[in-house]
Amino acid sequence: MTLRKLLLSTALVGVASAASAEIKVGFIGSLSSDTGLSTLRGAEMAIEELNAAGGVMGEQIVLVTADTQEDVTEGVKAYEYLAETEEVDFVISGSIDDVSLGWLPRMQEYQIPTLDTWTSYIGIIDMVVEDPEGMAPYFMNIASDEALATLYINFGADVLKAKMGFESVVVLAEDTAFGEAITGLVTEGLAPVAGIEVKEVITYDIGTVDFAPIFSKAESTGADFIYQVSSVNSQVISSQYVKLQVPMAMTGVNVSALGLEYWEDTGGAGGGISTLSPVPSVGFALDPVSQKFVDDYQAKYDSRPKMPHFNGFNAYYGLKQAMAAAEEAGGFKDVAAWSSAMLKQDLKLEKDGKLWLRYGFWDYDTVEPVTNRTYPHNALFDLEAPYDFAQPSMVVIQWQEDGTVGVVYPFEYANSEFVLPSWVK
Amino acid sequence: MGLRWYHFALWAAFAAGMFLLPEIVPRGTLRTIIFANFLAIFAISWDTLSGRTGYVSFGHPFLIGIGAYTTAILTKRFDVPVEISIPLAVLMTMVGGLIVLLPALRIKGSYFALVTLAMMELMYQLVQVIRPDLTGGTRGMSGLPTLTRGAVNGFYMSTALMLSIAFTTWLLMKTRLGTALSAIGMNEEAVAGSGLSVTRLKLVAFTASAFTAGLGGAVYVHYLGSIAPRALFDINFVFTIIVAALIGGAGTTIGPILGAFFLTFLLEYLRPWLPGAERYLIYGGVALVLYMYQPKGLIYLMGQAVRRVRKGAA
Repeated sequence: MTLRKLLLSTALVGVASAASAEIKVGFIGSLSSDTGLSTLRGAEMAIEELNAAGGVMGEQIVLVTADTQEDVTEGVKAYEYLAETEEVDFVISGSIDDVSLGWLPRMQEYQIPTLDTWTSYIGIIDMVVEDPEGMAPYFMNIASDEALATLYINFGADVLKAKMGFESVVVLAEDTAFGEAITGLVTEGLAPVAGIEVKEVITYDIGTVDFAPIFSKAESTGADFIYQVSSVNSQVISSQYVKLQVPMAMTGVNVSALGLEYWEDTGGAGGGISTLSPVPSVGFALDPVSQKFVDDYQAKYDSRPKMPHFNGFNAYYGLKQAMAAAEEAGGFKDVAAWSSAMLKQDLKLEKDGKLWLRYGFWDYDTVEPVTNRTYPHNALFDLEAPYDFAQPSMVVIQWQEDGTVGVVYPFEYANSEFVLPSWVK
Repeated sequence: MGLRWYHFALWAAFAAGMFLLPEIVPRGTLRTIIFANFLAIFAISWDTLSGRTGYVSFGHPFLIGIGAYTTAILTKRFDVPVEISIPLAVLMTMVGGLIVLLPALRIKGSYFALVTLAMMELMYQLVQVIRPDLTGGTRGMSGLPTLTRGAVNGFYMSTALMLSIAFTTWLLMKTRLGTALSAIGMNEEAVAGSGLSVTRLKLVAFTASAFTAGLGGAVYVHYLGSIAPRALFDINFVFTIIVAALIGGAGTTIGPILGAFFLTFLLEYLRPWLPGAERYLIYGGVALVLYMYQPKGLIYLMGQAVRRVRKGAA
């Protein structure tokens, strides 16, 4: 061997060992949305803390990002980039449902351990049930939408019917698949269980800028309250509801109200709006550990989102759990071993001596007692008071007219009361 | 037809070079080439109609979408095998496209462009509201059967398809028909005055373009394994197709391929440094500068370079 060859091979070995002496985490999600940034920043903070404590298995963790622009095809490209070009060990996702569904076949192909922090689509958990081997690397640490909806039906019975005395509802739903799905849950679940009559379902186009005629039509139905279903440009319908002082109560699902920026996004016209939200949400009292995470977050980042959305917490805790599982499984390469170790992760956070938040996963066999089905690899949740098994799958939050926000349901987590806007008699 | 032996030799060398790539480049690069191949197919399809005849279509995803949605619905909702659904999708694209877009060929210039754009928008709205149980509504469909698994297989499939389409289109354009189509782009009245049926020629161009778009769209959706209306009927998607054809060299067969590869690799190579949407700013700037510098595209620049080298050698 010549000296040149020896030097070259030594250099190559050096490069190879330097490249392998790190754990590579890939973030997949939108880099320009509050949702995507919440997951990214939660992951960044977890990695900083882990690295400061010596890393994982003696190796430092590095983070690479791939933007999906909330576009399905870009999501596929982004996952391929992380898998093939960056050769990441673990993927953390802040993708929306459609985008996750787009890259899922790639995850099944590459078998890279992956944690979804925002997507709640129950169909993905069904895939884990049907194909446990192919879906072994996949985990979702937000309660699936079926669990969200199940608890929301209780809100209808306990608050809307029992407390407010509402007997009938008119549904204002955006003309999307999301709108259609949630409307189905309301008409088939909420209404019959809570004993609330659905007077009419009004569907509006997502490009609607003037809601006055739609609110007039809703009023003319004579219903007691409006149930809105809005995920696109949600601040438009809610701010017009306030500005027009529509004389009916309005609750439902309003995605824009999930962030602390909602108040300024609506120009201060967001009072009275309530929406279901996964936990932790804005207005949700935090346990000391989560509060420290938020304090550190706000000290580190000075741009929106001012407070991480629920998926930021999911990323922060979930990434640490994924690394702990890797420590136990000897890395990420043995996917079955990692998956098994991840399934055992269980973080319990208490507040005032009460179990407040729990980050763990349903296993393959445990049947959830309320829905009577399994949720393997989905975040643990509790659908019944007193929530001593885990946190509820969702809470209902309400923005008040002074710009404050609080949890109004379930009662065990409530820090304010569900009230009608001042102009509704 | 003006065909020479070295034309075929060059095509053979091009194909051989492409098929050797899996031995040379990493899998990540192969994945990038797969997307470049599909963009090249769409750009060739666009160029067959617009680059040759001058009828600029802003609604090409309308055709791609018919192919993609037809096969997606057939396989997902009716369990039709892919081998049957793809030919049906191509047929559907040609028939559907003819019914809807053919009347638009009677109008010219910006009016034609606007009508095609409207068609794409109409399709975008329709798939969301008409039978969302079939189309998947705004969410689209996922879990579609995929034709291949793994980067290498996907590469071979997309490369074979792209080369077949490119070679067939090139052969077609070498015929008198191809010459007549290019003549329409230069002076439609003169072609009509020479006794040729311009309507019939445009019909052929449109049918060939629809065939390619339908085939590309159908295979693309079975490569991705999912389909979403927002990604497909997107104005950015239209612009990417058009820019690929223009930047590479409109009215040629190799031009759209060059443009598609250039754009796809530019975007992917920028990703590590600019992971967000800023990449598109650079991409837009580069495309603009290139097009302003040489409107005939990269193919012309390459030709100039070859001529200079030859002159230098002589």
